[in-house]
Amino acid sequence: MNEEPKEPARVGQGMDYGEQADVQQVHAAVQREKREPRVGAEPLSIWLIAIYGLAIFFGGAYLGRYSGNFSSGGLDPMGAPPPAKKAVAGPAGGEQAAELSPHDRGKKVFSANCQTCHQANGQGVPGQYPPLAGSEFTTGGSRRMGMIVLKGLQGPVKVKGQQYGTAVMQPWDKTLTDKQIADVMTYERSEWGNSASPLTPEQIAALRKELANHPESFTEHDILAAPDEDLSGGAPAGGAPAKPGEASKPGEPPKPHG
Amino acid sequence: MKGLAPLFLGIFGTFAFSWVGLTVLPNWQIGHLNPQSDEEGTDIYPQPQSGMFERGARVYAANGCIYCHSQQVRPAYAAADIERKWGDRRSAPRDYIFERPVFLGKMRMGQDLANIGAHASAEQASPAPTGAAPPGGSPSGGTSPAASPAPQGGAPAAASPAAKQSPNPSPATQGASPGLAGSPATASSPATAAAASPGASPGSSSPPAGAPPPGPKTGLASPSPAAAANATPGGVTAPSSGSQTAGPPWPIQTIGEPPMYSAAWHHVHLYSPRSINFDSNMPAYRFLYKKRRISDARSVDALQLTGSDAPPEGWEVVPTYDAKCLVAYMMALNQSHPLSEVRSAGGAPPAAASPAVSPGPAAAGSPAPAK
Amino acid sequence: MNATGIPLKEPSVSAAAGATEQLERAYIDASTRVPVLMFYTSAMAWLILGTLLAGFVSFKLHEPDLLSNISFLTWGRVRPAHMNVMVYGWASMAGIGTAIWLMARLCRTVLRYPLLLLAGACFWNLGVLLGVCGILLGDSTGYQWLEFPGYAAIILFVAYTLVVSWAVLMFRYRRGEQIYITQWYLLGAFLWFPWLYAAGQLMLFVVPVQGVLQSAVGWWYANNLLFLWFGAIALGTAYYMIPKVIGRPVYSYHLATIGFWTYALFSSWTGMQRLVDGPFPAWMITASIAAMILAMIPVATVGLNHHMTMQGYFPLMRYSPTLRFTVFGAMSYTVFSVVGLFISLRSVAGYVNFTQTSIAYSHLGLYAFFTMVIFGAMYYIVPRLVGREWRYASLIKLHFWASAYGIGLMTLMLLAGGFLQGADMENPTLPFSETVETVLPYLRGRSLAGILLTAAHFIFAYHFGLMLLGLGRTSTVPTFLNPVEAEETSGGH
Repeated sequence: MNEEPKEPARVGQGMDYGEQADVQQVHAAVQREKREPRVGAEPLSIWLIAIYGLAIFFGGAYLGRYSGNFSSGGLDPMGAPPPAKKAVAGPAGGEQAAELSPHDRGKKVFSANCQTCHQANGQGVPGQYPPLAGSEFTTGGSRRMGMIVLKGLQGPVKVKGQQYGTAVMQPWDKTLTDKQIADVMTYERSEWGNSASPLTPEQIAALRKELANHPESFTEHDILAAPDEDLSGGAPAGGAPAKPGEASKPGEPPKPHG
Repeated sequence: MKGLAPLFLGIFGTFAFSWVGLTVLPNWQIGHLNPQSDEEGTDIYPQPQSGMFERGARVYAANGCIYCHSQQVRPAYAAADIERKWGDRRSAPRDYIFERPVFLGKMRMGQDLANIGAHASAEQASPAPTGAAPPGGSPSGGTSPAASPAPQGGAPAAASPAAKQSPNPSPATQGASPGLAGSPATASSPATAAAASPGASPGSSSPPAGAPPPGPKTGLASPSPAAAANATPGGVTAPSSGSQTAGPPWPIQTIGEPPMYSAAWHHVHLYSPRSINFDSNMPAYRFLYKKRRISDARSVDALQLTGSDAPPEGWEVVPTYDAKCLVAYMMALNQSHPLSEVRSAGGAPPAAASPAVSPGPAAAGSPAPAK
Repeated sequence: MNATGIPLKEPSVSAAAGATEQLERAYIDASTRVPVLMFYTSAMAWLILGTLLAGFVSFKLHEPDLLSNISFLTWGRVRPAHMNVMVYGWASMAGIGTAIWLMARLCRTVLRYPLLLLAGACFWNLGVLLGVCGILLGDSTGYQWLEFPGYAAIILFVAYTLVVSWAVLMFRYRRGEQIYITQWYLLGAFLWFPWLYAAGQLMLFVVPVQGVLQSAVGWWYANNLLFLWFGAIALGTAYYMIPKVIGRPVYSYHLATIGFWTYALFSSWTGMQRLVDGPFPAWMITASIAAMILAMIPVATVGLNHHMTMQGYFPLMRYSPTLRFTVFGAMSYTVFSVVGLFISLRSVAGYVNFTQTSIAYSHLGLYAFFTMVIFGAMYYIVPRLVGREWRYASLIKLHFWASAYGIGLMTLMLLAGGFLQGADMENPTLPFSETVETVLPYLRGRSLAGILLTAAHFIFAYHFGLMLLGLGRTSTVPTFLNPVEAEETSGGH
């Protein structure tokens, strides 16, 4: 049984591993192996049951204690309820209660919508997004600016002597309300060193009606074709917007300064 | 065990149990979140990003940034993330609803990036950089006209960020009582990143070119005059270094470098991390940049490199589009916008701070996000 | 007991197999030769590649400027490449190879439909190759443990389907009524893996879940892969090898049953503990931590079972390579689980999250536990396939000690370094770069451990290559690690 295999017969398996065609002479390793494993039947030890109990107890206790009430909002394992909406929105809520000025409201609209492209500092991105700071469109008559904001702009445009044209500005007439557009334009026209007249929602509403039949966005040609004037009905031209802090009622033209 | 059937059922059952419990149930709970918006429908947070941001995220994934950097801020009761000014509140599920893939991360060989875009200076036009250096750090106040009152040593609360818009020397002090541990507002503050402002840097390259639109993840852009810890919008710090005993561990802004965390800074950091922070362990990503001859004039994108990294005379190093997208992505990482379901750090509403804040904070009416 | 102290004869029942059983086994082994060797050879190749990549990963972490400007060698790409090669290349293929042989033996039937396996191996290799190249060239998906780009993942899935079809068919044709313990684990593994893989791919790529759930699904997948695929194969293998080599039955059927079901039930719920303090509802994280606590039940059960089986036979570890590796691996299962639990508890996790400890944990599971058991299995199986014994006992010993010390050192370095790193991170007065400075020396220590592991793998690969070429020893006596100065050794390996 334990003798070495004699002349190994070649079996076509590539390497000559000395495999035997003669089944009487099996490989030694297989021969000396023990039987295939079997299983005994010892009973469970009491100590093991004790360990199970401990594990279940601690696991369960942990689960109960640190699960934040199993709620979707319970990020805190100790289960503290999320802070009341008011508390956190505190300043925001508080401020709203204190009536933000159009400038400040406009800033919120700007941050949420315009900042991506025109940047928080209104400088835009060279070659891609025109700046608003010092831009002739922003500081000029509000009609042209209103047209751009309401209906969008595409194609090449020259702003402050630089050429832009790769990006398309989307129309905002469907996304923003008159009040929001007026506020954001007010903000932009009084920020970053700009100093141009504010706008009211009524002016925007009127412009919207005017442009109602104009479906597509404008091109530079269209904009330049429009008169560079302020929209009628708003605050007297040249008035600086209310400084923040002098909260004015929404919708009311801010008090002109000097 | 005899019988295949019970075995199979058990195998299937245990797996199904875990699958339902850990993926289906949570999906039911937090898998269909909408962004938060205020009553007027503005101020939507978060907003989906696209364009350069998306491509930047792919570059981030492809180059394995996630293996060293995390993007989640842990709550104050559990970790020191907020004290380190990595955010002014913990991250919540809602912060990530528009991200794919989500880069929460599992390792910090480099710092957390959840709010890296918020730390960038909003300043391009601002004159001297605000020296809101790490509190405890040099009272950079010295150099900054924007009045940052000397940051307190010790307490994280610190100097007001520079905001271009804050003429008032902030009552940062009062907001900054050590009691308000980590009054952060930081991140949001000057933030909103935007294109970097190499405020100090001499002319040439303005990074705006390199800084594609940062995401407006925060609706409240204004720097809060109060308490804002550090947003070190970098800038030149007063030579009085040797500080940082207590205070956030930002690398100290050194003279001649682009403002901390601005797009230009990111580019230099990616190109040569050890030129910005000597102790940095980050590999250099030079393959994301191209060296080329200067044609007529130095391009606006060119990196402001110094020392041995600087290209020879007549050459410049510019970022590839991938590099620009990556930086755009990072500049948009900003979780400073408050969420109603998460308490912003600082705990209780700023009893002390708000009076200082609300009445016409010069900066902008927007309330400080963090209290 | 005789002079050597090795108990060699079973008191009541002879452990020696009868002639029929031997013939049967010989036939079975012959039929498994090509598929198993194909999987093993592929696995060895991936092991070598993965080890080289690991060297890069380890060294570049503390020498970041090493070859840093080459895009396909940047650390952020080499690291996922290493991990995926090890997980899907080495570990999965070596595991499948072992499982094939075990299934054939335990089903007591000659291997049928070998073409399914051969095709599976080819596709698997192709998938891993494409995947690794994809990652290095910049197509990584960004999801940890699932970085293979889609085109590689689909090929892997196809490969897998072929393999699992084979497994199901073998099971169908098995002989004998009892389904032995190993077969439970293997059947579980063969079924769980495709479900896991499919669920992971579906929920992340095909119908992606929103936001942070992607991370949750990712870690659910990763931990389940570790336990339900790799762990199950390793435990099944240990349940075969230990009683087989020492010739005694497994201690208790009841323990084995409880161990299997509690393992399946609790280990599958782990995963979320890696996300402690993250942006998730707390209950998910706590559920996983509780599962880690409850997973101590199977650990204790299986550990006790193996220990009692080995009772009195521990000296055999001096001689049998298989036993040595397998017992090391089985003990590592306990260590791995305990360490894992410790670093998951919320109080500790606050410190060690985001540190190197999680790397220590993963390597404990994949290397100290799974890989060492598979090494043991390979040392047992390969001689039966090639008809030769391992040529050099010294090489086996070198392999064992280099691996053991390597993984031991690595674990220690990373755990210690990780804890210190975490402690520093929790101290906000320290600049962040301090935390990196703190852990750097430990990373260097880890590189040292990596050198040991590299040596171990090259030694093993060389030895394996010799066997493949038919250059093993022709002998009836197995390669013992130390000479057995006994008289007649009728049993043995």
